[in-house]
Amino acid sequence: MKAESRRTDKPTPKGGRLGLLLFLPLLLAGCATLSGNVQQQVLDAKKTMAPTLVHIRPVKEVFVQGQRQEVLAVGSGFIISADGFVVTNEHVAGESSQVICVLSDNSELEARVVGTDPDTDIAVLKLEAGRDLPYARFGRSASLESGELVLAMGSPHGLTRSASLGIISVTDRYLGDSGGITAPYNNWIQTDAAINRGNSGGPLVNLRGEVIGINTLALLGAENVGFAIPADIAREVIDAIIANGRVQRSWLGLSFQEMRAKTDDPSVQGAVIADVAPVSSAHEAGVKPGDILVGVNGQPVNAHYEEDLPAVRKRIADLPVGEKVTLQLLRGDTAIEIEAVTEEKMASKGMQAEFLEWGFTVAEMTPELARRAQVPPGEGLLVSGCIPGGLASASGLAAGDIILKMDEETIRSLSQFDELYNKAIDEKTKLIMLFVKRGAVTRFVLINSEGMGEAPVDKEMLEYVD
Amino acid sequence: MWIKHKSRYLLLAMAVTTSVVNANALTQESLQAFFEQWSPALCVLKFTQAAIDPRTGEEQQQQGSAVAVVVSPDGLLMSNGYLQRENVTTSNFRVVVLRDGEETEYKATLLEKPKDVNISFLRIKSDAPLNLPSVRFTRNSRLGLGEEVAILGVMSETMDFQPTLSVARVSAILESPRITYCLDTPLKLGSVTGPVINDKGEVVGVTGFELSSTEGGDLYTRSGVPMVFQTELFIPYVDSPPGESAEEEEGGEEAWLGVFTQPLKEDYAEYWGIDPPGGLIVSTVMPGSSAEAAGFQPGDIIRVFDGQPIQATLDRDVLDFTQMIRGKQPGAAVTVELLRGGAPLTLQVTLGVRPRSAQEAGEYTDETLGLVVREITQDLRTVLNLGEDVQGVIVRRVISGSPAHVARMQPGVIVMSIDNTPVTSVEDYEKGSDAIRAAKPAEVSIFARAGAATGFFRVRPRW
Repeated sequence: MKAESRRTDKPTPKGGRLGLLLFLPLLLAGCATLSGNVQQQVLDAKKTMAPTLVHIRPVKEVFVQGQRQEVLAVGSGFIISADGFVVTNEHVAGESSQVICVLSDNSELEARVVGTDPDTDIAVLKLEAGRDLPYARFGRSASLESGELVLAMGSPHGLTRSASLGIISVTDRYLGDSGGITAPYNNWIQTDAAINRGNSGGPLVNLRGEVIGINTLALLGAENVGFAIPADIAREVIDAIIANGRVQRSWLGLSFQEMRAKTDDPSVQGAVIADVAPVSSAHEAGVKPGDILVGVNGQPVNAHYEEDLPAVRKRIADLPVGEKVTLQLLRGDTAIEIEAVTEEKMASKGMQAEFLEWGFTVAEMTPELARRAQVPPGEGLLVSGCIPGGLASASGLAAGDIILKMDEETIRSLSQFDELYNKAIDEKTKLIMLFVKRGAVTRFVLINSEGMGEAPVDKEMLEYVD
Repeated sequence: MWIKHKSRYLLLAMAVTTSVVNANALTQESLQAFFEQWSPALCVLKFTQAAIDPRTGEEQQQQGSAVAVVVSPDGLLMSNGYLQRENVTTSNFRVVVLRDGEETEYKATLLEKPKDVNISFLRIKSDAPLNLPSVRFTRNSRLGLGEEVAILGVMSETMDFQPTLSVARVSAILESPRITYCLDTPLKLGSVTGPVINDKGEVVGVTGFELSSTEGGDLYTRSGVPMVFQTELFIPYVDSPPGESAEEEEGGEEAWLGVFTQPLKEDYAEYWGIDPPGGLIVSTVMPGSSAEAAGFQPGDIIRVFDGQPIQATLDRDVLDFTQMIRGKQPGAAVTVELLRGGAPLTLQVTLGVRPRSAQEAGEYTDETLGLVVREITQDLRTVLNLGEDVQGVIVRRVISGSPAHVARMQPGVIVMSIDNTPVTSVEDYEKGSDAIRAAKPAEVSIFARAGAATGFFRVRPRW
């Protein structure tokens, strides 16, 4: 009896309780600073936005090691019209076979993907609810100030109806090409309002209850460094997707660097042309790396700092496709004008497909990839993965190979390859020759559909099988 | 009973100890004496080793070094048998001999490898007759279980190649298939083929490993076990050295065709309707090569090369073809019979010169900006998949804290111009760098390529 009571009398649990008690007043004190007017504004903003929130559960298509798989994901979104248009991230709803939306009243609806734009990471969905839905209103992101209070709303880690509070840390953060994230046409709103996985696609809300950004990224390993797509550019993209199902952009083949890469002198205005794509209208027109772009169709261009670069790129992208543009350039000290015709910018993300019988997956080439791989534009398909031990892999095909030819035919599209492949499968063709490029070297890979039995057997393995 | 035995062993042990002390035990003094006596016969062998990945056909080159033992004063050497193994070509041998504190570098040629022991023999090339300190082997080389031996080698891990000494024990004596003395300590790289010295100061063998079956050894090899190759195994080759290896290059310029090939395996032959299988499929024709000039095309199948039938059906046969070309002289006219689209075709090709490899490439250290730049050699162009339109020098190293480092330049970046002066060679870069040192500008604008894109770096030299 005595021994037991001594054990229960251990001081630690009491101390723990004491600690908790000490903590609570602190939290309450913290809240107290938001009392009164501001507290009311936060409550109002949250109440305005809450009914428009959508919890998104897409079934996403992923290609892993030569196989197509379907995985479940979670994300956030918000309704933007009474008839059921919903905005979220491209990385949430893109490449999905099904998108389930859970609305604020817990009703579940399947959404149609209206269109996606990988360059801005925006997707638009459509719900058919058969009734008018509550919808969010956009605010202007151009007039934001850092220090403004904002709410991040959505489903962090799948926890629906969540809201977090913070301020705008920076209004125009430039992320460049960091960590494989490319956002060529926008800067980011940086906020310390907690953004976690699952918040993607949810609204960043000001105290007037307006959407001023779409929560998209969080810096890994950092505390509360989150990024949202500014509402102004998002609205343009959303309007284009609703109207055309996609965003059409112009392309000249130019890459830019800020003027600071050349000089600190603020009187020199323009943008440094860092690169001219080898097969592009700008290259054909004679634009050279090192030229300074000072004007487009007579309108001045200036990118003194890197934060100014998205606007310059957007200026080119917003030009009408297939029309003449006059570029005002500075070459050395000489002002020159060059005329070029804009082309339509090709998709920066290629479609993927699975070829079950051979055990591999293929992705469309992008212009960037074609240039890196030294393959003529419009030719080839990228082997994105091979199932270990599958026919493709046993025949010597490997991820990263670029298929240039199948038998005697030059491969130019996924649909053409798909057709040739299906013909070979249907007709049970025994031998198919692929001509592939691996790095700088080309080689022949013979797919022998009857040759699987001849695959070399690992000696070591035989010894362990009794 | 047990105690009795113990005491008897104790006595025995004492007796043995006394007798060893009477002979030359491996004491610190004796070890030092043996080291003094035999370490002058050690030299350092440097070479280039190229391994071809049989799956991708890609060649990977690296510089290597090994310890070599001078076994006759006229320049016969013994070294690690791994120099000659399957799928590996070793070439460009140089021997560094240290005499009276002075290093002399000689070229050396590889001799044909003995079939029954994993040791490579080399001969130093020298116009003047040599009289090098050499190891004298003791023919009767029995070792006892538990016997302590001294092993000489060089410090290869620190790359300063100082002679070293270590001590090991014979941990097992295997009787079959032949007497093998195993050692109880792992061997450092610089000690493989190191002389093994017994307690009398006699050199009774060299250390080594057997080749595994994948490296061309027997199936029942004891690869991985450090062992002593006793003198009986190799003395015959020291007495009458093997002939020069056919694989040995003649130094200087090598012949080059400029194609990547694949063997014409059975099912490939079936696909193209070629009977019998055997031959080399041209898979890549290198730009600027003599093969390109002669009109070779991917898909051509080489059946006869310079009168010799090509019957390659295995991945490793590709290597034989590489060796065959290397055996020819640059500039030699060669007739090649091939099949194109099933029809026979004869091409005349004048062999070119194998382009310099990245290891032999010209390099320049720019101390002003803090960059080490290198010529873009043909092999680098292939590895990095750079088109012929990409001209410049490649940054091999960025010196930490240097102006280039501050400007965030990185290794692998290709410098294409410095302050509007185009750079297409290391010489161009050097000239540009000299001009900068003369003019002392506050800033230097470098136009460079990183990956597939180009851009400008703004470097501020510190004057």
